[in-house]
Amino acid sequence: MPLLKGTLDVLVLKALSWTPMHAVEIANWIQERSDKRVVVDDPAMLQALHRMEERKLLVADWGVTKNGRRARYYRLAPAGKKHLAAESERFVDHFDALLAILNTRKA
Amino acid sequence: MPERFGLRPGVRRLFRLPTRGSTARLEDVDAELDAVLQARADALIAAGAEPDAAYEAATRALGIPLETLRAQLRRSAQDRARRIGVRDYLADAAQDVRYAIRGLLRTPAFTAVVLATLAIGIGATTAIFSAVDALLLRPLPFAQPQQLMQLDLVAPDVGRLTGSDAMPWSYPKFAVFRARQTAFSDLAVHEDMGFAVTAPHVEIIRGESVGANYLRTLGISIAVGRDMDTTFDAHPDMSHEVVLGYALWQTRYAGDPAVIGSTIDIDQTPYTIVGVAQQGFRGLSGQAEMFGPLTARRGMGLAGAHSYVFGVIARRKATVTPEQATAATAALGTQINRAFTKAGRADSAWRARAVSLDAMRVSPLVRRSVLILFGAVSLVLLIACVNVANLLLGRATSRQREISVRLAIGANRGRLVRLLLAESVVLSVAGGACGIAVAWIGAHALSVVDPAATLGTLRNDGFGAVTFSSIHLDWRALAFTAGASLLIGVVFGLVPAMSVRRMSLADALRAGATGRGRTASAALGGRRALVVAEVALSMVLLAGSGLMLRSLAKLLATDYGFDGSHVLAFSLTSLPSGDVTDVFQGFWAGVERELSALPGVRGVGLGSQGPLEGLPGMTTLKSLDGRPADANDSQLFGVGIANPGWFSALRVPLEGGRMFDASDVATAPRVALVNQAAARTLFPGRSPIGHQVATVGAMEGPATIVGVIGNVRQFPDSAARPEIYLPLSQFGHQRLEVFIRTGQNPASLAPTVRQTLRTLEPSAALDHMQTMDERTGGATARARFGALLIGLFAATALSLSLIGVYGVMSLAVGARTREIGVRIALGADAGRVRRLVVGDAMTLVLVGGMLGIAGAVLSTRVLQSLLFDLTTTDPATFVGIAVLLTATAFGAAWLPARRASRIDPMQALRVD
Repeated sequence: MPLLKGTLDVLVLKALSWTPMHAVEIANWIQERSDKRVVVDDPAMLQALHRMEERKLLVADWGVTKNGRRARYYRLAPAGKKHLAAESERFVDHFDALLAILNTRKA
Repeated sequence: MPERFGLRPGVRRLFRLPTRGSTARLEDVDAELDAVLQARADALIAAGAEPDAAYEAATRALGIPLETLRAQLRRSAQDRARRIGVRDYLADAAQDVRYAIRGLLRTPAFTAVVLATLAIGIGATTAIFSAVDALLLRPLPFAQPQQLMQLDLVAPDVGRLTGSDAMPWSYPKFAVFRARQTAFSDLAVHEDMGFAVTAPHVEIIRGESVGANYLRTLGISIAVGRDMDTTFDAHPDMSHEVVLGYALWQTRYAGDPAVIGSTIDIDQTPYTIVGVAQQGFRGLSGQAEMFGPLTARRGMGLAGAHSYVFGVIARRKATVTPEQATAATAALGTQINRAFTKAGRADSAWRARAVSLDAMRVSPLVRRSVLILFGAVSLVLLIACVNVANLLLGRATSRQREISVRLAIGANRGRLVRLLLAESVVLSVAGGACGIAVAWIGAHALSVVDPAATLGTLRNDGFGAVTFSSIHLDWRALAFTAGASLLIGVVFGLVPAMSVRRMSLADALRAGATGRGRTASAALGGRRALVVAEVALSMVLLAGSGLMLRSLAKLLATDYGFDGSHVLAFSLTSLPSGDVTDVFQGFWAGVERELSALPGVRGVGLGSQGPLEGLPGMTTLKSLDGRPADANDSQLFGVGIANPGWFSALRVPLEGGRMFDASDVATAPRVALVNQAAARTLFPGRSPIGHQVATVGAMEGPATIVGVIGNVRQFPDSAARPEIYLPLSQFGHQRLEVFIRTGQNPASLAPTVRQTLRTLEPSAALDHMQTMDERTGGATARARFGALLIGLFAATALSLSLIGVYGVMSLAVGARTREIGVRIALGADAGRVRRLVVGDAMTLVLVGGMLGIAGAVLSTRVLQSLLFDLTTTDPATFVGIAVLLTATAFGAAWLPARRASRIDPMQALRVD
């Protein structure tokens, strides 16, 4: 399922609000939570992460994975937390409204 | 889990830790890409894939070629790096500025002195630059101003009298010139005039009597109605058309267009208002409210070939160069002179000249004054800069230890230089802002200078269209200020910054330990040189202002030949009907009688001219003792009309013969008085009394000289010219200056005088009522104004260089604390220590003073034309300012010297 504009950012932030993760972990987390309905390919994920790092929503640093490999870990910056709160509220509100309309048409 | 995370944002910058360079960023991109593919491959292997092929498969699963993705990621990483670099740079700059402001606020005295110095230096320079711009640089407010030229007659030197190269024209000479010339497309005469408007109520309106194409020549448009009819140029005394100034149309007629075609009475003659001139135009005099035809002139008609009253303005044809116009005018001038010279007379040296109107925009004296002020104020700015550099250098020196410690713990040198630079830029920008405030106030103060009253500018002495009121702070002046302040900041911020660059840690710490490190003493040496420069520059300014002040004192102490204290002066215009001589005499006799009867009045003087108001109607001699005047007597005389009270009210002494008296009635033989200058010119070594004299124009027949009176100056700064006075009882006049001598405050008499005259003759118009002191104050105001300004600059310069001397000596004492402590410990007494410090300071002052005197001798020459009765190397002035400078510098050095003598040797040795 293709993502709506701006949705990926919120999903990434949401993922990172649990714990710091690297790119593949974030993608897997989103895939699992959505019952494989949302699949983000790696190129898009990397571009998004770099963009959000520059906007100071995320902070990145090198770490070591469970498998003993180096990986770039991302965590929420204070601005990222604020952005997540504001955006998720906006999305919930938005989809709530959409659902209300769609349900009305059916009835 | 990651073992560490990056520092909080800003921490890295705060501690000046290195940020990741762009190579490191690219390596990050590659490593992360590899890590992602590795993680995918691991997952595939866990799902049972072949380990060797897993990485390949993960790469394929990306969906786009690996190298394309790598290039994309690298490119955006580089863009990001660039954006972050700019952001960091700006953040750094903001931080530098904040740091600089905090540092400056920690030393308020230093900051205040620097700001005040810059504000005065920059502000005064900008204000004077605005004046230079408005008075000398800005294009004239006329169409194609470069084509406009002023035409003058040039009168030769005759005998001891110097001629004039800017004589006005007589109408006949102008008419001949106009008929023969081909270089100009338009030309017109003009004369300043007070129009006596008689209805609905009597009032004098300042204006100009002009030739019909005056406005066309200048390229002035007509706001309402039409311009004057040029067919009247052939019959200048027939026109009855006037054009109103825009301001007069607004105030007197409330801007009503219906006024076109109506009439206005001037001297009880109706004139038709044909138009209104464009807004803002007030004639070449800058004060005209109305433009009337030559018909509306009072006094002599247009026929007198030697009645020199008209200015001439001309517009050069587009095809004619200024040089051609000048040459053509000069050639015609000789022809005209021949046409108007009687056969056998040798005064063939009258010429004509054409000068660009732009060159005549202000009188040469004003131009010179403004340029000299600009020079003086530039010196002040220079001294201010030197002082600021001095102060910044001193601050850098006293912070050497702090700076070397910063360097020692790893601060980036470039960043430290930027920090110091930021401080001086912040200082100079703030100083520039304060300077703009000072400049605004200064420019405003200059704009309200009334040149007529303050600078005593007279006719043909520049023109009023370029006025002080046109001075305002414009963008050029602002750009000038901003440029100056930034330049000062950068240049003088770099001096201490460079010394930081040169300084090595070992040096700095050694300097701290001994108080006399190499760089510290080098910096001190630099500051000494700056102080010498400051003292020298102040000396030049002080010399200039000393000369101006001495000149002013001499000017004020000059005997002008009359006593103006307790005298009320005003102009009175009677409005004629019937026979001029008869009615005027009746009117003026009534004025004299009624005013004399007022309580407190001791004398009533009536005359065509007052002292210090320029030359009265100038003319040449016609005959002497019945013989036609020979060539050598063809010099100019002022001819004035006066009653006996004029001489007694102004206390002008009778030096021989008799005063006019009751026997000199209109029917009696004509009599005249001459001043001593005229007596010497006409009858060198003999008594003029009893001889008969006649001049061209003003007096029809010869008059017998009955007395000699003292010289009264016509101009404050030059000796009296020859004058002939005729009795009011024999020669009528429509407009006279009235001088009332009283025992009380003359101003208190004004209401009574107005009331009395209104009762006596309601149609008479009174204007320009002032005390005589106010009038003569106006005449000397130019000197006062110049002396005041340049004196202010000199005072500023002096105080700035004292700050410099004080600052350097304080620093020197600070740097030598240990040495002085040792001296005191070894038995030097307080006096000896004080002599040491003061002697050091005085050496600087002496060197600076000597250089300054040399500079002053060279540069005060430019003041020559502004000085009155004083050489530019007046020894008294130079000695005086040398003493002043030495005394004040001694005072400035005394405070640090006293501090040095109180150094406690124990404490001094324990320092560091």
